[in-house]
Amino acid sequence: MAEATVQTAGAPSARNYLQELLPRIVLAPSFAAILLFVYGFILFTGYLSFTDSKMLPSYGWVGLENYSKLWALPHWWRAISNLAIFGSLYIIVCSVLGLGLAILLDQKIRAEGVLRPIYLYPMALSFIVTGTAWKWFLDPGIGLEHTMHQWGWESFSFTWIKDRNMAIYTLVIAAVWQSSGFVMAMFLAGLRGVDNEIIKAAQIDGASNVTIYRRIIIPLMRPVFLSAFVVLAHLAIKAYDLVIALTGGGPGQATELPATFMYSYTFTRNSMGIGAASATIMLIMIASIIVPYLYSELRTGRRS
Amino acid sequence: MARAVSVRRRTIATAAAWLIGFLIFFPILWTIITSFKTELEAFSTPPKFLFFEWTTENYGIVQERSNYLRFVSNSLILSIGSTLVALLFAIPAAWAMAFAPAKRTKDLLMWMLSTKMMPPVGALIPVYLIFRDMGLLDSRGGLIAVLFLMNLPIIVWMLYTYFKEIPGEILEAARMDGASLWKELVYVLAPMAVPGIASTLLLNVILAWNEAFWTLNLTTSAAAPLTAFIASYSSPEGLFWAKLSAASTMAIAPILVLGWFAQKQLVRGLTFGAVK
Repeated sequence: MAEATVQTAGAPSARNYLQELLPRIVLAPSFAAILLFVYGFILFTGYLSFTDSKMLPSYGWVGLENYSKLWALPHWWRAISNLAIFGSLYIIVCSVLGLGLAILLDQKIRAEGVLRPIYLYPMALSFIVTGTAWKWFLDPGIGLEHTMHQWGWESFSFTWIKDRNMAIYTLVIAAVWQSSGFVMAMFLAGLRGVDNEIIKAAQIDGASNVTIYRRIIIPLMRPVFLSAFVVLAHLAIKAYDLVIALTGGGPGQATELPATFMYSYTFTRNSMGIGAASATIMLIMIASIIVPYLYSELRTGRRS
Repeated sequence: MARAVSVRRRTIATAAAWLIGFLIFFPILWTIITSFKTELEAFSTPPKFLFFEWTTENYGIVQERSNYLRFVSNSLILSIGSTLVALLFAIPAAWAMAFAPAKRTKDLLMWMLSTKMMPPVGALIPVYLIFRDMGLLDSRGGLIAVLFLMNLPIIVWMLYTYFKEIPGEILEAARMDGASLWKELVYVLAPMAVPGIASTLLLNVILAWNEAFWTLNLTTSAAAPLTAFIASYSSPEGLFWAKLSAASTMAIAPILVLGWFAQKQLVRGLTFGAVK
């Protein structure tokens, strides 16, 4: 990379100085904006989590009281265990389907260029719109169940979205529908990057297609699995739009996730301190995923 | 992989891939079709797929009852406005990082990008309080500011990757020929940077158009975009299915078009560069 700050001899030195400083000057606003918006606001949220804020922020220091209150709430435990169920199913099913679809699309299928955007559409559209469509589709009174009954399959029953024990799985269905095609695109890019020579060598050695995939190609996809995990995990922890559109956290608290919990405690239950504590815990969860990932990325980036 | 695939396997794979594609697209397709039915036909027995009397009455009714176009114009103003403001900040920043890299430029970029992964709930309370104190709740200006800040990291990073592809030698050659910084920017850099800027703009308009966390929590009506309007159809009621579908169809139509052209950018942007 050529150094753009190299100067021609004889230029006036004040101008030189300015030109050398210019990159920093133009970078500063973006840097400051991100610093303030992300870290400034996060620090403030963190600070509020140690105060007695209720409906309004107040600055009486209460130490860890909000955290102990938070972890004593069955409602919060519900949100955390829902996140565990939702997150693990979402990540596993999306990765498996994504890899499967990528392998399917890698079989030199016809008009692949038309199919790829179709697989990607669910991710490109607003979660609010697709979530609402799914809500109506899964509603027993008007959606799938209703249609099946009209077609004469009277015993058909699909009432998960109204069922406290099953509603969380409708969230998984909609989220998997939304993200699988996107994970497919990640794996497809990975598959396209596999060196053909390795495959050819294996074929000459008489390896079957299944063996080639199982023993050579899928192990080579390890970095893609890792990126997919990081992307999907942070999407799961942040999940908000889809829950709001699909179930609104209900029935009862059956589909409450940390993000919806945080909103309801901060703004509708007037416990800003507890809301801030839950937001801080979500921040720690996401940081514990992305910091090691970024660290390893930067290290490998340096080596190459 | 350029491997030999037998004709039979290729045909089966093609059929399977298209079937899955159809299933994936079905909920979207069904929404679009339902939007052209009467409320009565939306519930007809058995459901009608294509052979019904197509009508556009729902679109008229939605507009009449809830001034739909106001939500559309809010969506347009918010997504395009926030993108333009962000580009104003990001283009110089990305230019600086791509053409005058310092020792820590890569780290700085990674750091910027990592902030995009942070959950927005972490910033919700302070943003809400500031908006309330400054009277910015339910205002377009305030939302443009938030959306701009939210997407700034990804815009800077995306522009950087595009600018990085511009060969530095060309700039040096221009400088050797005595071009001033200004001339260098306008005549050499700008023409080569435009495609990258356009791609970034496209991705960001889509992201801002779909944004719901901030728009739902910071607007009530005056500045509410389409996402907030759709979310206001809270409970499934049979009487509104066709109308909701019409509203949804109009909300997704621009993205169905833009998404076709922006699929590469979407994957690149949403995976934070893991896929080039």
